[in-house]
Amino acid sequence: MNHVTSETFDKNAKAALADSQLRGALRNATSLFGQRRLAATQQLTNWEDLRTRARTIKDEVLSQLDKYLEQFVANAEARGAKFHWARDAQEANTIILKLVKDRNARTIVKSKSMTTEETHLNVALEGAGVQVVETDLGEYIIQLAQETPSHIIVPAIHKTKHQIAELFTEELGMPPTDDVDKLTSTAREKLRDRFAAADIGISGVNFGIAETGTILILENEGNIRLTTSLPRVHIAVMGIEKLVPRFADLDIFLKLLPRSGTGQRLTTYQSFITGTKIDKDSEGPEELHVVMLDNGRSRMLAHPVTRQSLACIRCGACLNACPVYQNIGGHAYGSVYPGPIGAVITPQLMGLEKTQQLPYASSLCGACREVCPVKIDIPRLLLHLRSEITEKASPEVAQAKPKAGERLAFKLWKVAMMKPWLYKLSTKLARLFQGFLVKNGKIGAATGPARLAQPLVAWTSGRDLRPIEQESFRELWKKELAGK
Amino acid sequence: MESRSNNDAARESIFASIRASLAASARHDAVESELHHASPPPSSVAVTVRSEGLLDLFKESLEAVDGHCIIANDEQEIVDALTGIIKSLQGTRLRGRCIAISDDLEVERLINQADLEIDELAVTPSASDVFRFDVGISCVQAAIAETGTLLLDSSRERHRLVSLVPPVHIAILKESQIVGTLGEALALLRQSEQLTPIATLVTGPSRTADIELTLAIGVHGPQELYVIVWP
Repeated sequence: MNHVTSETFDKNAKAALADSQLRGALRNATSLFGQRRLAATQQLTNWEDLRTRARTIKDEVLSQLDKYLEQFVANAEARGAKFHWARDAQEANTIILKLVKDRNARTIVKSKSMTTEETHLNVALEGAGVQVVETDLGEYIIQLAQETPSHIIVPAIHKTKHQIAELFTEELGMPPTDDVDKLTSTAREKLRDRFAAADIGISGVNFGIAETGTILILENEGNIRLTTSLPRVHIAVMGIEKLVPRFADLDIFLKLLPRSGTGQRLTTYQSFITGTKIDKDSEGPEELHVVMLDNGRSRMLAHPVTRQSLACIRCGACLNACPVYQNIGGHAYGSVYPGPIGAVITPQLMGLEKTQQLPYASSLCGACREVCPVKIDIPRLLLHLRSEITEKASPEVAQAKPKAGERLAFKLWKVAMMKPWLYKLSTKLARLFQGFLVKNGKIGAATGPARLAQPLVAWTSGRDLRPIEQESFRELWKKELAGK
Repeated sequence: MESRSNNDAARESIFASIRASLAASARHDAVESELHHASPPPSSVAVTVRSEGLLDLFKESLEAVDGHCIIANDEQEIVDALTGIIKSLQGTRLRGRCIAISDDLEVERLINQADLEIDELAVTPSASDVFRFDVGISCVQAAIAETGTLLLDSSRERHRLVSLVPPVHIAILKESQIVGTLGEALALLRQSEQLTPIATLVTGPSRTADIELTLAIGVHGPQELYVIVWP
């Protein structure tokens, strides 16, 4: 599953569906997280109110992002942070590589960051001969296995402990064991040496606070605290949208994010980092570099529907709630951002040409919208992107244009739906003529002349269709219920 | 520095793109606000500040996240608690023979009263030394009752590594430092003229569920967290 791309989503999804071990793991994980999230939200009496407030705050930031960025940067610079601006992934990696080379850094420890997954930072660093060690347990496993994360919060959700034990035996030479505590403590011991030797720590950022210039990072393991406190130099990579205006706003976001992500009231650690150390004896990084990444984000501001994608706080709740993700997992999306939020963010970051199957990777059931702590209307975004694919199709995405047969069918359907007499007539006709398609009480894969009906073929190639009942509800009503 | 000018170009270009996008959005925003009436202003959250029962609530919340809470009634009981914890560790794989303490004078005074056999006692060991210590002892600057959380402000006490690297962290907390809610703790942090460079919220020992969602306590941070509360 390592080299899948978004272009082949349909194929990836089918392969994932055939993987029963993966589906079992996903079923356990997503249902457990779903239950925990629900229980955690019910501890608060004002959950809906918090969601609304969080979204209002994010809208406030995004609609004046330039102003809040200037404020954030000025406040952090006043406290000793250095800022670097990256228009795209490559520019971000070049900046970081230069920081690394200028300091002759040999070992780099890294904590989990979706943003650096997005820029493929590790590939860039390793390509330049710099050793970089992922320190989050899940990410460490993924790095040893040379794979990519399959979940925003639990990167190795797709691997069993047996697979992890085999990996540790092979890569770290530990005696075979299935004991999760032993596996965990082995990783702890191995990584301690790396922490002790590291010259630079690289982290992501959960929130940037404009009024104080603070960056806030959340975690459970302690590796982020180690990454940001042991090495002399701390490089933090953040998307330009990650801001909140006021320190007090964190009260809301710290109630929403852990509950939505893992069902915790608070994650074990929150690190608030404001600039560099005050003098040589005080605590704090000697050098703090913040890399601000655009990589397509500023484009998303151009429409209120797409802009809301930037309100995302990366909790992963929509993944766990999504019936599509629950069955295929993260790798099938072929991008670092999987699930419903990935299906809307990836096409906007990477362009629709290579990702046009993603906005269709949803039944539009709305479960993602229900759980989103910042009320992102993901179904509406999916529809927005779908219409962009069909209406504004550039030559590259022309193949996604609906076929003539499909367009004709929808036109006819529209006419029939607007005229009750025509609707009645057409269902009557369909009832008469469906006979030759029905086998064992259902309409299976279309064959013979039925293959000319495009929408029918598209539907029945993957599932059965129920035939139209011999009597409609209105007819039944007239005959039986109304008479009594 | 030529990279400086390159980076200015990137900065300018990102800001230009943000401003262009926001300008382009203006006409859509107008349509949007007509379609969806702006949601009513959210009601303000009632902040309940209470002082009674905070200690009990703190203890309950801390124990719910696998931390230990010991209530001491006077200085002698703190010393007894410290001695008891470390002695009980000395028989386990956590050893408890090398002790690192923060630079809070109170901690040093208390640990010196404990009757213990220890190999080494060091105040705020450096990043290269801290790994060999078995126990870290510090004070904290506040605690949150509703979540069982400790607030560590590294500008008031150097406890960043002492509270993190050794497998056991013992924190000493005054009952009067306990506040009710996260919001109150954030307000405490914010009230100083200049925000501290490093502040950390700690809720229980380090944990992970990255392998098959099985909870494992003590990944990179402490495996055990003890909080001694005194009046």
